Amino acid sequence: MNPSANWHRYWFTPETAEQLALVRVVSYGLLFASYLPLDDRGWTQVSPVFWMPISLFHILSGPPRNVAMIGILQILWKVSLLASAIGFVSRVSMPTAAALGFFLLGLPNCFGKIHHLDGFPVLLLCILAVSRCADALSVDRALRGSREMRTGVSAQYGWPVRLAQTLFLLVFFAAGCAKLRNGGFAWMTAANMRSIWLGELFRHTPPPALGGFLAQSTWLSQFAAVATVMIELSALPALFFRRLRVLTVVGLLVMQTFIALMLGVYFTPHLVGYALFLPWERYYRKLHGRRR
Amino acid sequence: MHPVRFASLAIVGFLAVTGFDIVTGLEHWPFGSYPMYSLLYPEQLSWLQLYGVTDRGEIELRGERDFAPFDEARLIVALQRLQGARGGNQKLDEALRNVLQLYNRGKAQRRSVDQPLRTLRLYTVSWALRPGLQGSEPPGERTLIAEVTANEAEPQR
Repeated sequence: MNPSANWHRYWFTPETAEQLALVRVVSYGLLFASYLPLDDRGWTQVSPVFWMPISLFHILSGPPRNVAMIGILQILWKVSLLASAIGFVSRVSMPTAAALGFFLLGLPNCFGKIHHLDGFPVLLLCILAVSRCADALSVDRALRGSREMRTGVSAQYGWPVRLAQTLFLLVFFAAGCAKLRNGGFAWMTAANMRSIWLGELFRHTPPPALGGFLAQSTWLSQFAAVATVMIELSALPALFFRRLRVLTVVGLLVMQTFIALMLGVYFTPHLVGYALFLPWERYYRKLHGRRR
Repeated sequence: MHPVRFASLAIVGFLAVTGFDIVTGLEHWPFGSYPMYSLLYPEQLSWLQLYGVTDRGEIELRGERDFAPFDEARLIVALQRLQGARGGNQKLDEALRNVLQLYNRGKAQRRSVDQPLRTLRLYTVSWALRPGLQGSEPPGERTLIAEVTANEAEPQR
């Protein structure tokens, strides 16, 4: 088969409007729940000496100083996430959710350090904003009826989820590559893993006790170091092999759970990435059939 | 534009930036090379640590509650970057004065019974990492890097 046909088959395998719509409901719903406590107003009180802009934030002359404006923007963002989840005024709410998500989630990263929890959710918001994910199971569709919106099975309903899954897996492949580039094969030694776990006892409050406990075992430290890099690197081939994909996604979820327990770093916003791999339409049909 | 062509362009765009960051190790947020915990970690941990001085003596400051809106990891990395920047001493002092203000302001907002800080000190602290540590052990070494006092005219060094 030629590369063009392979490309088309990989990205544009037809999907139902309902599958993409359910991904919309779950994704925006999870992001709303994850970021409900987010409050960026405190950054207006931080000295400009800390301002180290990243990405498009370079166009700002300095850190935002208006508390009320940040307060309004974050209310607008949370409302837009909710409106997008139910598919209400989606042509406005979804781009708003993406743009404000970029600003509000990116802002804290301009004060010295990028936390890598929020990059993927922003990419997902951008993908959904340009997709046709409100064509089904949305308030917009209910209000307008079926005259203006075509649904059914189409290539247009497949690529957004495929792209989001791909970017999510590439996050981990990138992390695996970074370890080999910056640390080399020595990263995968028991001594290095042990130093990471023990170091977090003093860098993190409260100290993650499990890491300190497991660091006593050389064998476990060695296993964790090798397994981490192997699972992360398997994310690239997992894009192309379905069975490996299932194993890798489960492996990554287990790995991030252990990271939370052992290093105290909670990748809660990444739950939305794992949710992309679930067959939501099958669950929906089962639930729908049971109600009838 | 034809929907499939638009989608193809979007896909290529996303993949191009992602691939570029993976290959080069650069960060173009929200894309990135995800370098967290990617370095080799020695058995001697060296880290920055903030201590506050109240009327009752010196206390260790840790956690988001003390530095909000900063979390500890972001604040320490930011201070390290300022320390290494051009005019680092002056920038570090200005940053510490701001952290001192944030602490005292946050304490007042929480109506905490803790005493306000008179002075904020930044130390380099280090531990020899060995199995069996609990996280409550005091540092093996502690070196003062900078110190600022509330309402001070000039920082002490």
